[in-house]
Amino acid sequence: MIFVRPPGPVSPALTRRAPCWAAPLLVAVLGGCSSEARQLGPTAPQTRPISNADPRIPAYQANVYQVAQGGRYFGWYGCGGCHAEGATGVLNLGDTQWKHGDGFADLFTAIADRHGRLAYDRRVPVEVLWQLTAFVRDLPAHKAEKRMRTARDQKAEPQGATWSGPQ
Amino acid sequence: MIADLERVPQLDATWRDAPGLWGFLTTVDHKRIAARYVVTALLLMFLAGMLALDMRWQLSTAENTRMGPQLYNESFSLHGSTMLFLVSVPLMEAMALWLVPLMLGTRNMAFPRLGAFSFWLYLGGVLTLWLAHAADVTPDLGWFEYPPLSGPAYSPGHRADIWAQMITFTEVAALAASVNVAATILKMRPPGMTLARMPVFLWAMLIASIMTILSMPAIMLVTSMLIADRLVSTHFFSPAGGGDALLFQHLFWFFGHPEVYIIFIPATGFVSAIVETFSRRPLFGHNAIVLSIMAIGALAFGLWVHHMFAVGLPRLGNDFYTAASMAIALPAGMQIFCWIATIWSGRPRLDTPMLWVVGFLATFVIGGLSGIMTASAALDLQLTDTYFVVAHFHYVLVGGAMFPLFGAFCYWYPKATGRLLSERLGRIAFWLIVGGFNLGFAPMHLLGLLGMPRRVYTYPAGLGWETLNQVATAGSAIAVAGGLVFVGNALWSYWRGRVSGPDPWGGSTLEWASASPTPAWNLPYTPRVDSLTPMWRDGPLRVMEGLALDRREVLVTSVADAAPLYRQKSAPPSIAPLLAALATTAMFIGSIFTPWAIVAGALPIGAALTAWFWPTRPRAGAAEAKA
Ligand code: HEM
Ligand SMILES: [Cu+2]
Repeated sequence: MIFVRPPGPVSPALTRRAPCWAAPLLVAVLGGCSSEARQLGPTAPQTRPISNADPRIPAYQANVYQVAQGGRYFGWYGCGGCHAEGATGVLNLGDTQWKHGDGFADLFTAIADRHGRLAYDRRVPVEVLWQLTAFVRDLPAHKAEKRMRTARDQKAEPQGATWSGPQ
Repeated sequence: MIADLERVPQLDATWRDAPGLWGFLTTVDHKRIAARYVVTALLLMFLAGMLALDMRWQLSTAENTRMGPQLYNESFSLHGSTMLFLVSVPLMEAMALWLVPLMLGTRNMAFPRLGAFSFWLYLGGVLTLWLAHAADVTPDLGWFEYPPLSGPAYSPGHRADIWAQMITFTEVAALAASVNVAATILKMRPPGMTLARMPVFLWAMLIASIMTILSMPAIMLVTSMLIADRLVSTHFFSPAGGGDALLFQHLFWFFGHPEVYIIFIPATGFVSAIVETFSRRPLFGHNAIVLSIMAIGALAFGLWVHHMFAVGLPRLGNDFYTAASMAIALPAGMQIFCWIATIWSGRPRLDTPMLWVVGFLATFVIGGLSGIMTASAALDLQLTDTYFVVAHFHYVLVGGAMFPLFGAFCYWYPKATGRLLSERLGRIAFWLIVGGFNLGFAPMHLLGLLGMPRRVYTYPAGLGWETLNQVATAGSAIAVAGGLVFVGNALWSYWRGRVSGPDPWGGSTLEWASASPTPAWNLPYTPRVDSLTPMWRDGPLRVMEGLALDRREVLVTSVADAAPLYRQKSAPPSIAPLLAALATTAMFIGSIFTPWAIVAGALPIGAALTAWFWPTRPRAGAAEAKA
């Protein structure tokens, strides 16, 4: 029965559950399926990505929920203070120019280790760094107006300096 | 009504559908279309009911782990959206599509192909939601999806789009059905059925249709604005960009409140029909009931803010809408007293349809009373978003609309199938459903007062909520078991039930004049009506001749007096409605992904509509025009 379904990411099991007439549709949306999965609760990465080909990467990079969470943390940690829309040079994250490589692990390192005294490797939990990395790599895929629209919805959330939660 | 012998084969030939699949795809027979609507909606009711049972299972004990939060969110969203948009409203429309021409003694709806189009689009909405669910892209924000939660920032992906587009589908389908019903009732009444002699059922369907026409644009607008915000980054609902998040709630509830009456008013039509027939006397206070329905229909558009008491509107606004919401108790109460007076002064018979009416009266009154409580802004601040609200809306939706619908199903089942439902199984189903429902939902009032919030996937032990939740789950299970008996009864009786004949109950209105099951052309002659209860006159029904037998023709009459005006060609079967629906479906689905789908999709839709409206008779020549 299609309505008794364990939560969590979908996988090959999907093809078993769905009725056969849904097959053509499934082929069409299969890419989209797992990208919609929404996992709440503890998740995989307790460690940094080992390489740009770390097998855990798709679960973040290809998942809209994880990317969107990264977007919220982007505001919370004050990233937008420097990397605002329209920033120039290295500060511009929407231009597909990455100084230290565009791989997942490359950007993860750039965020965690290349921000000097901001020391994100100590201040930001590992999973959040995964989400931030996925978000940042996703940015060039969107038009400027989409990035702005999303940021505006999140304006009421604490932003960097106005953060009042646990330090 | 008995027809001449040679008449029947002629009518058969004229109104026949093509055999086989082609006939299935092209038919414009309102009865076949309505049957499809009913079967699809009942299937969905079953699926959504199983979802509900699953949720109740999860809530039966504290800290249960059957579902996680995400699955629970998806479950109540799918349950609520399905029950309201894909079950309740379409079922009421289907009953209108099926019964309105029969009660008018006419041969088909005013716009036969529009009826077919309506069903195919509805099916598109069903498939959108449930195939997306099969692919695990289930909407998860409840049956109303407020921004900013449903906006681009907090609902990435396509779950919210699926919900919004499912609504677009069902609303276009509902608009098509409603325009059709309203036009049919206003222009195709049989001679003699003046507005003053129109049965309550038809009034109810007319008013519900007009309400649909007036309220649906608001929700189509608001879901389209939501999609625009998500797809092309407009700022309708983004306060930081000059938009207004509350605008969504206003537009949604400007539709959402009338929606519950669009469900409830047809139910009052069923109840009126059943009460009249089974009390064996004309309805007490016909005019009062009709005026009450009109008052409910009008007031329903001035209440929507009672769904927004907690968002912080001005005091005066809250006070006004409290008063307006309570005012609706007057016409609703008036109707109930009229029905009771009819039963009281008649010679009531307690067959299953009437049993459901009794169940409805008892249950709906409880729902109405809790409604008056939630209508009070001050009290609602305590009750909103608790299980008290869950209890309230299930009492009014299930008790106020589903019970009459089940009664209607028992009442008109013989008309549709030619066989009677088993009364014994029907009684068992009745007691299980009504008993189980009350056992399941009454404790939720208490749970709400004890503070249990709605839409939570679990709760900690030790809050004193366990026992009541267990009772609620047990009640739900009993009700679902009753539902299975009900469906089993319908299936069994379809093949094994007692043959009913045209008029097993001694009904008062014209649908009982036709054979059961009704042939494609409905009644052999056009009836003439001289009272509110034409089937109860002494002597045979009077009829008139004059409509062609060798081509599809219907009689058009004047709005107020039903005076015959002219004969109108009735559209024959066509594949065009299906093609138009397919083209529309492609555009709706495509516009989830790219705005260009609207431009590209307009062409196939235009082509399908052109085929649909292609003239089939030559233009009048100059000579003819002069003559
Ligand atoms: C056996 C029958 C039914 C059972 C056991 C049942 C049970 C439930 C449950 C457990 C919830 C979730 C409550 C929550 O967590 O907040 C719910 C929500 C809901 N139900 Fe039902 N239900 C039934 C029938 C119906 C029917 C017939 C309708 C409408 C005609 C309906 C309309 C809704 C709506 C609109 C919601 C709210 C969804 C939301 O919060 O967005 N239900 N129901
Ligand atoms: Cu309301």
